[in-house]
Amino acid sequence: MNIEELKPILNNIYIEGNKICVNNNLHKTLAFLKDNYYYDMLKSITAVDIKNAIELIYNLYSTENEEEVLISVKVEKEAESVSDLYDSAIADENEIYDMFGVYFNGHENLKRLYMPENWDGYPLRKDYVQDDTRLAWNDNNDEA
Amino acid sequence: MTTTTKLKLNLGPQHPSTHGVLRLILELDGEKILSCEPDIGYLHRGMERMAEGLTYVQYLPTVDRIDYLAGFFYSELLCRTVEQALGVSLSERVKTIRVTMLELCRIASHLLWIGAFLMDLGAVSPFFYAMREREMILRYFEKLTGQRMMYNYFVFGGVRKDIDYLYDIEDIINIIPAKLNDYEKIISENPIFIQRTKNKGILEPELAINNSITGVNLRASGINYDLRNSDYLYTDIDFKPIVMSGKDSFTRYKARLEEIRESIKIVKTCITKLKKNSNFEQKLINPLTLKLPDGEFYSEIEAPRGLASVYIKSQEQDKPYRLKWRTGSYYSVNLLRKLLVGEYLNDAIAISGSLDFILPEVDK
Amino acid sequence: MNYLYHLYIEFLTKYGIPKLFGDITFYVLPFCLSAAVLMLVVLFLVLFERKLLGWLTQRKGPNRVGIWGVLQTLADALKLLLKENVTPDKVDKFLFNLAPILVFIPAMTVFCIIPFSAEYTFVNTSTNVILYLVLVAFPMLSLFLGGWASNNKYALMGAARGIAQILSYEIPMTFVVLSVVTLAASMNMTGITLAQYSRNGLLGWFFIPCIIGFLIMFICVLAELNRCPFDLPEAESELICGYNTEYSGMRFALFYLSEYTLLFVNSLFMSIMFFGGYLSPFGVYLSQLLFGDTHLGTVLVYFEQAFWLCLKAFMIIFVIIWIRATLPRLASFDLLKFSWTILIPLAIFNLFIAVFIKYTMGGALCGLS
Repeated sequence: MNIEELKPILNNIYIEGNKICVNNNLHKTLAFLKDNYYYDMLKSITAVDIKNAIELIYNLYSTENEEEVLISVKVEKEAESVSDLYDSAIADENEIYDMFGVYFNGHENLKRLYMPENWDGYPLRKDYVQDDTRLAWNDNNDEA
Repeated sequence: MTTTTKLKLNLGPQHPSTHGVLRLILELDGEKILSCEPDIGYLHRGMERMAEGLTYVQYLPTVDRIDYLAGFFYSELLCRTVEQALGVSLSERVKTIRVTMLELCRIASHLLWIGAFLMDLGAVSPFFYAMREREMILRYFEKLTGQRMMYNYFVFGGVRKDIDYLYDIEDIINIIPAKLNDYEKIISENPIFIQRTKNKGILEPELAINNSITGVNLRASGINYDLRNSDYLYTDIDFKPIVMSGKDSFTRYKARLEEIRESIKIVKTCITKLKKNSNFEQKLINPLTLKLPDGEFYSEIEAPRGLASVYIKSQEQDKPYRLKWRTGSYYSVNLLRKLLVGEYLNDAIAISGSLDFILPEVDK
Repeated sequence: MNYLYHLYIEFLTKYGIPKLFGDITFYVLPFCLSAAVLMLVVLFLVLFERKLLGWLTQRKGPNRVGIWGVLQTLADALKLLLKENVTPDKVDKFLFNLAPILVFIPAMTVFCIIPFSAEYTFVNTSTNVILYLVLVAFPMLSLFLGGWASNNKYALMGAARGIAQILSYEIPMTFVVLSVVTLAASMNMTGITLAQYSRNGLLGWFFIPCIIGFLIMFICVLAELNRCPFDLPEAESELICGYNTEYSGMRFALFYLSEYTLLFVNSLFMSIMFFGGYLSPFGVYLSQLLFGDTHLGTVLVYFEQAFWLCLKAFMIIFVIIWIRATLPRLASFDLLKFSWTILIPLAIFNLFIAVFIKYTMGGALCGLS
C-alpha cells in the first residue's frame, strides 16, 4: 500500500516517521483501510502519554497482503471506539481506559480491568500520583 | 406455571481448570452458556509501569515472569529491541544458541499444555507423562542457566555464557519423538478424546483474525501466519510452519504436537551448527552506560501462545519512557466472550483449555 | 447361618448368659463385624488405588507414612477427623448434616447382604438382589440431598448431573440383573452363586452366556459409582468437586469412605452375578483337595470361598482404576445419550438371549435349579 494514495481520499492525514497520523477521523480511516486494503487484524493498540495528550498507535496487519501499517491519533480524554470494526479492540480499549483514562465513545462495556473499581487515577499516565491519599488504604494522615 | 431464571455462575478465580486466576462470569441456562464475561487482573504486577522506573538491565530479569512457562521469549524480545535500537548484531553462534533455547522452551511449553489440556478433559496420566518429558528440558535449563523457569540467560548483546552439555540436548531430541508417538496412541486415537474435541470450539478464521488471535490457534484455523518466517534469528534455518485447517480443539491439539516435532527438527539443525562452529564471540553492551536513542522501537516474536511484541519509546535515558507488551494470551482470553456462547459447561472447559492461555501473560 | 447361631448360643449358655440376650445380639454382631472389616477393606482400597494410580502414572504413590505407605490412609483419616467441621452460613443445616449419614448408612448396610461364603451371609432374604439394587441406588439420592442443601451452584449442578446419570443407568442395570435372575431362577445371591456351579469351574459362570450383560453392567457400575470416565457429578475440572464442594472434615470423610465402600460392594456384586461369587474357578476347592473331608478342610473352605470372592472383586477394581488412569471424561450429554440409545436396547436384547438360553437348555446350564 502506498500511503500517498490515501492522502486525497482521507483528508487531514499526514505522515510522521513510519506512522500515519489522523486527526479526528480515526474510525473512518480504519473502516476505509479494512474495506479497501484488507487490514483485517488489529494487532494491538498502544497508548503513550506524551504530556499534553495521549497518543494511540493502532497496529494494523493484513493477513492477505502480509503488510503492516501504523495509524496514530492524538487524543485528550475521549476517542472513537473501533470495537465495531475489530473485536480485539474491545480488550485493548478497555485496557487503555483502565491505564490511561481515555474514554472510548461507542465501546459497549468500559470498566476498570486491572485496577479495583473504586481506584482513583490512571497508573500509566505521567501525572499519576503514587500513594494517592484519596485512596482510603493510602491514608498517611492518620498517624496521630 | 414454571418460570425459568438464568443461573449466574462465577467460574474462578480459584478454580482448578482456569489455569491460574482467571475469573469467568457465566450466565447459564441449565448447563448451556448464554454469555461469558472474563474478569482478569488478579495477577496484575504492573510490568509496564515498573519498566518506567527501572533501567533496562534492572528490568531484564523481571521479564521472564511475564510468561513463566516461556520466559526465554520475553527476554529475547527485550534484548532484541535494545540490540536493534543500538545497532548491535549478533555472531552466528550466539544466534544459534538463542534459537536452540527458544525452541526447547517452546517444546516445554507445548508439552505442559498437552498435559494440562488432558487434565481439563479429566484424563490423569497424560499430565504426568508430559511432565516427565518436560522435566528433561527443565533439568537441562537448570544445568545451563541455574534456573528452571526464570532463566535470565539472554543479555543485551548475547548470552550470559556459552552453551554446554550438548549431549543432554541430544538425549532430549532423541527421546521426545518416541514419546510423542506414545501420546498419539494414548490420546489422539482415544474415542472419548476425539468425541470431546472434534468439532468442538470451532474457531472460524475470520473470527480469529478479527479477535487478533495469533500463534498456533490461528494456524490451526488455516491461516499461514508464522513470524518465524521473517525472524532474523531463523533466516538460515529450514523449517515449515504448521498450518492445519480443522479449526476445532482437536486440530489445535494436533497442531501443537506437530509443532513440537518441527521444533525438534530445528533444535537438531542447531546442534549440528553449534558443533561445527565453536567460535563463541560476543560483544556485550555495557549495562551501566546503556541508553537507548530517542525514538520508538518495536519488535515481535512468535511465542508459544501467539505473537508477542514489545514497544519501547525512549527519550535518550537509561529508562524507557513507555514500554508496552503485547501478549497472545490476552486476546485468547477475550475471545472466550464469543467462543463459549451456546456451548455446554463441560465443553466450555475443554475449549478454553484448548486455546492455551496463561494468566501471568494476560495480566502482565 | 444356623450353624453359627447354635455355636453362639452354646457359647453363651456355657457362661450362664440368657438365650434372649443371644437372640438379640446375634443379629447386631454381624453389623458390627461387617463395619469393622469394611473399614479395614476401605482403608486398604484407598491405598491400593493410590499406589496403582501412582504406578500407572510414573509416580511412586504414598510412600512416607509407614512401610510402603501402608499407614497413609490412616493418617489422612485422622487428619480429616481432626479438621474443623465447617458448616457454611446459608446452607440448610439439617439436610446438610443429614446427607453424609444417609450416604453412609446404605453403603454400610448393603455389605451385610453379600454372601461371602456358604455359611456367612449376615442377612439372608429370599429376594436380596432387589434389596441390593435399592440400597445401592440410595446413596445417590442422598448425594443429591447434600448437593441441594449446600446452597452452592457447583454442588447443585453436580447433584443434578448425578440424578440424571443414575436415572439413565439404573434401568439397563436392572435389565441385566433380570437376565441373570432368569438364568439362575433365583433372586437370592446365594442362589445365583450356586446356580453357576459346575464341575468345570469357570465354564459354568454367567459371564459366558451374558457377556453383553456383563459389559453393560460394568459400564453402569462405573456410572453409578461416579468413576472415570463417568465422573461427571464430581468433575474436578468443571465443577470443582461437584456435590461435596462445601463439605469438609468428618462429613467429607463419610462421603469418601462410602464412595470406596460402594466401589468394593459393587465389585462384589458383579463377581456374584457373573463370576460365580465365592465358587472356586477350578470347580473344586483347593482346601478340599489338600485336606479332604477333615474338620480343618471344612473350616478352611469357608475362608477360601471368601478369598475367591474378594480376589474376583479386586480384579474388577483393578480394571476400574486402570480405566481411571487411561480415559478422559465423557461430556455430560453424550453420557445420557449413550445410555438411552445404546445401553438400554442392548440390555433388553441381553435379556432375550438369557430367556432363550433358559428356555432351550433349561436346567442344563444351571447346576441347582
